[in-house]
Amino acid sequence: MLPTFGAVPMDLTVEKLARMIDHTELKPEAKHEKIKQLCEEALAYRFAAVCINASHVQYAVEMLKDSDVKVACVIGFPLGATLSEVKAYEAKEVVRLGAQEVDMVMNIGALRDKNYDLVKTDMEAVVKAAGDAHTKVILETGFLTDDEKRKACLLAKEAGAYFVKTSTGFGPMGATPYDVRLMRETVGPDMGVKAAGGIRSFKDAIQVIEAGADRLGCSSSVAVVEDFRWAQYSDIWMQHDKPCWTCPSRQANLAKQPKDVYLYYKQRCLTCPDREQNIFND
Amino acid sequence: MSLTDRSIRREPLSPGLFKGYLGGRGLGVRMLYDRLEPHLDPMSPSNLLIFAVGPVTATSVPTAGRFAVITKSPLTGTVFDSHAGGSFGAHLRRAGYAAIVLEGRSTSPVYLWINDDRTEIRDGSGVWGKDTSVTTSQLLQETDSQAEVACIGPAGEHGVKLAAIITDRHRAAGRGGVGAVMGSKNLKAVVVRGTTKVAVSDEEGLNKTVERARRLIKKNQVTDKSLPIYGTPVLVSLINEHGMLPTFNFQEGTFNDAEGVSGEKLLERFSVRQYHCFGCPIGCGRISRLGGEEVGGPEYESLWALGPECGINDLEWIITANNRCNLMGLDTISVGSTVGCAMELTQKGKLDSSLRFGETEGVLELIDDIAFRKGLGAELGEGSRAFASNHGSPELAMQVKALELPAYDLRGVQGHALGSATSNRGGCHLRSYLIGPEVMGAPVLVDRDRTEGKPELVILFQNLSAAMDSMVLCRFTSFAWSIDDYAEMLTNCTGVRISGPSLLVIGERIWNLERLFNNREGFTSRDDQLPPRFFKPLPEGGSRNRVVHLEEMLPKYYALRGWDKEGRPTKERLKRVGIDKT
Repeated sequence: MLPTFGAVPMDLTVEKLARMIDHTELKPEAKHEKIKQLCEEALAYRFAAVCINASHVQYAVEMLKDSDVKVACVIGFPLGATLSEVKAYEAKEVVRLGAQEVDMVMNIGALRDKNYDLVKTDMEAVVKAAGDAHTKVILETGFLTDDEKRKACLLAKEAGAYFVKTSTGFGPMGATPYDVRLMRETVGPDMGVKAAGGIRSFKDAIQVIEAGADRLGCSSSVAVVEDFRWAQYSDIWMQHDKPCWTCPSRQANLAKQPKDVYLYYKQRCLTCPDREQNIFND
Repeated sequence: MSLTDRSIRREPLSPGLFKGYLGGRGLGVRMLYDRLEPHLDPMSPSNLLIFAVGPVTATSVPTAGRFAVITKSPLTGTVFDSHAGGSFGAHLRRAGYAAIVLEGRSTSPVYLWINDDRTEIRDGSGVWGKDTSVTTSQLLQETDSQAEVACIGPAGEHGVKLAAIITDRHRAAGRGGVGAVMGSKNLKAVVVRGTTKVAVSDEEGLNKTVERARRLIKKNQVTDKSLPIYGTPVLVSLINEHGMLPTFNFQEGTFNDAEGVSGEKLLERFSVRQYHCFGCPIGCGRISRLGGEEVGGPEYESLWALGPECGINDLEWIITANNRCNLMGLDTISVGSTVGCAMELTQKGKLDSSLRFGETEGVLELIDDIAFRKGLGAELGEGSRAFASNHGSPELAMQVKALELPAYDLRGVQGHALGSATSNRGGCHLRSYLIGPEVMGAPVLVDRDRTEGKPELVILFQNLSAAMDSMVLCRFTSFAWSIDDYAEMLTNCTGVRISGPSLLVIGERIWNLERLFNNREGFTSRDDQLPPRFFKPLPEGGSRNRVVHLEEMLPKYYALRGWDKEGRPTKERLKRVGIDKT
């Protein structure tokens, strides 16, 4: 039986929450003005970083040069299926332009092929090219089974990455507390876990923080921190959701996932201890 | 202002009244509680009709051009406040007024012309009998083309209990029959032109706060995208998907033709442009093309009431009917719901009429008959509760405290259901708009089916709504702003330091005073009820198999409110919220 309410972590403040967020704009259609706004908001709210595509790095670095807001750039994004050399070159270039963090998409197909050498060397190539810049490895959890997620986490750790990250925001699933917890348990306390994709409210944010995330990727960052001010007025916001609401199996989608992965998630529903609550989809 | 002897008295607003009740709704409720004799006939000359604005009105605070009309409702018998957008409120404040309090009854039709500090009661016989659009045009010609008009149509003149007050031709202080009270005083319109800039306490601070508030509106999906692009009809698809779009007088929660009357379809077929009220960056209002003419609306609630509620899927006809209601000065929600009720009575053989779900024939004429109190229209104009009772089926009136419920089937939203049952003005969606958290996820999505925690949430939203209505700001700002933002703007404008929590205490004070007023009129816990339909499950759709669990939530609500089992505030609670002192 779940308790009626969860709780906002006692020491979490608006400012602390903001310092955990990579303020993100990765849409292909994003115009220059949007990146300007992103950087201005990052400065105003003191977000941890802006997370952007490579073509915007130089401008963002200039915008944020006298601040402690970092510039994070995605690499091999969003598919992760390009050559390791290309990823390494991309990482080297954006770091040369001033990026302090790189968020690379791992070779997802290679991991599913159990070609772990390729996956690891791919990661190592980017870690090396990034130099002092911190590398985050995006797993795209929606394409993976739990065992594959664990394996990917271990490979990223061995490759010297600073963070493992759940999703691109363009794949089949966003971040779920379940995946974040699994990733945290796998990498241990000394490596970062970034939850990204689908974090739209302060409750979403707190749920993944409680599961072990120490960095969040959000495009709704302003709403997340602003709405956090509502938390002081009611405990109901943190009321526990129906289990299915945050379960990866609910997000599984045959149109977006390989058949075997989709069935892997849906078959878990059959043996889920909360299956009696899985009646309606709302 | 006495309309009986045409005397006008100006009084400064006492600081205590402002600090205790802010303005708008709170100010009006306090005046009504203090000045009205219990059990007064709302249509008697002694009833007060108050037009009030708030402490941030006509400043740079977004949406600060609204006004509230506060009176004792002839439809519900409760204390009542009804609000409208446009620019009338801004002019009233710029003319120097926090409120106009009207009492008595003129022997002949009049209108009030407020031109900054000059006030005249003028002969209104030239516009008596005219619709609200003609009245507006004619009075602007007689006074000043830059002025703003709030007027009644034929419905208000004839004392129809569903009569609204219309400003800017299509913005309505729609609910509760406030237009009938205006008509009972032989007051056709209030015309106002105010030109004096409103001073604020901390101009620089307010500029910063407003800049931030506008930025938040631009960052919010609802206030920056959904409402500006589709207007409030954006809700048609969303609410229908949740199985909560009341159809056939709430017999069903899914309308098969919802797509045809959706916000998307309105945009594709009829929308000409957005309509912005004074100082509003959102612009949720619609101007639609109807034949060769441009007309206001329709809003979501109106579109639903004249559409799916009556089983009608003809969007062009709905726009026509909405416009007819605006011209006649009628509340679209109550008209649509009462007609829907009549359709079900006919369906069930309780009423001999030609009304049929899904059929528009004769309904436009019926709207006119409601306004002019003719035939069946005269009966319908008394509201659905009286009408259904007269035909032996009171359970078929979808109302609370005689006010028709708006466009959300309460079986799909437990918190919103509790808010509707306990609303001080009856079946209203705006006293505690829990559709925000329960359906739209604003500020976060909470489980709409759960009852735990809902009494707390309803109270939070009721208190906040009372405070916002007393600042006289638009409800939609709360999608983007938090409680602290309202408090900061209030502080900047007035110089009185008010925090978020203290703003909620003011809201709680107003809520309790309204409750006292209603208790004094004889309202008890028996009136905090919903129609029996909500305790039987919906047969299909996104809210199938659900019922409202009011019996679980109501006792908890009373306990948290500090009320006794009859729904009466205790002395301790009144003391705590400062009603005994003020």
